[in-house]
Amino acid sequence: MRAYQDMVFSTAVRLTANPAQAEDLSQDVFLRAYQNFDTLRTSPKVGGWLKTVCTNLTLNHLTRHRKRWRLFSEVFSDDTREEELDSATAVFDSVLSELEADERRVRVEQALEHLPAHQRIPLVLYHYEEMPYQDIADRLGISLAKVKTDILRGRVAMASLLAPGALGAPDSRRRPPSTQSGAQS
Amino acid sequence: MSSRDHTEEKLERLVSQVLRDQPLRQAPASLEVRVLTELAARARLPWWRRGVASWPAFVRVPVIAGCAVCVPLVWVMSLWLATRLVTVTRSRIAGPLATLRGTGHTLASLGAATTHIIQSIPREWLLGGIIASATVYAVLFALIAFGYSLLCPRPEYSKAH
Repeated sequence: MRAYQDMVFSTAVRLTANPAQAEDLSQDVFLRAYQNFDTLRTSPKVGGWLKTVCTNLTLNHLTRHRKRWRLFSEVFSDDTREEELDSATAVFDSVLSELEADERRVRVEQALEHLPAHQRIPLVLYHYEEMPYQDIADRLGISLAKVKTDILRGRVAMASLLAPGALGAPDSRRRPPSTQSGAQS
Repeated sequence: MSSRDHTEEKLERLVSQVLRDQPLRQAPASLEVRVLTELAARARLPWWRRGVASWPAFVRVPVIAGCAVCVPLVWVMSLWLATRLVTVTRSRIAGPLATLRGTGHTLASLGAATTHIIQSIPREWLLGGIIASATVYAVLFALIAFGYSLLCPRPEYSKAH
């Protein structure tokens, strides 16, 4: 269990954005694993099994509240402007090149938690779980066009949450040494 | 490929890189304790309160065999009971049903007569009647409201508000 608990918890918490719910779901996953202990003990695919069960349980849990976020997902239009895309690309570029790993981890986790569910869930399924668009649409019961729009808007929204100053985060990007010393003086 | 497509593709690549570089979130320490506590609680349960799959074989086999016999038996019994119930109920409610049917016929002929009467009245008369009724209703309502406001004046505090 120790070998997989972080993976299971991460899968659940990224989808739910709620650590308490993620812990409950992770508990359910491991209890199911113990029910199938004899099969799983010798299986080399135990990690994949746990991840699949966790994703399914979490999505089932989330679909109980789907009406709430589906309503917002219905009101969509692909009106993301090119300047927004450019600016989002620049933010992610700077997050990769300028933030320290620890800070990047915290900021990305915070940004994900602040994304609305109808953007976060397809975004996580696409980027973390590597699900194709069509599978996400089938699993969430929404159209392919909506999935694509929600993911694109989710990326742009995430960039605005990662931007310096958003979510109360200080502008702590790495600066060249000369700038840092200039700022200190 | 348009410049927008190119930007979208670049954004997708960057987001993928940022997200996949993220380390796993550490599970809370309480998770393992909770799972183990729940497993211990389940292990303490007597066999008959657990799932059938974990029952001992000497119990499971007779129970499954019993169910295999009981299910068709219960099905046949319920069919027989349903047939009996329908027969008994039909004989019991035959009288009230006939009365209801008679009442239905009377109401239907009354409805037909009313429709016939309404259709025989000229349309102008009907419209005039409706307008006159509405006017009388509005006048009466206004008179009652006026009389009420005269007879029951509002207290001082409500006038202030």
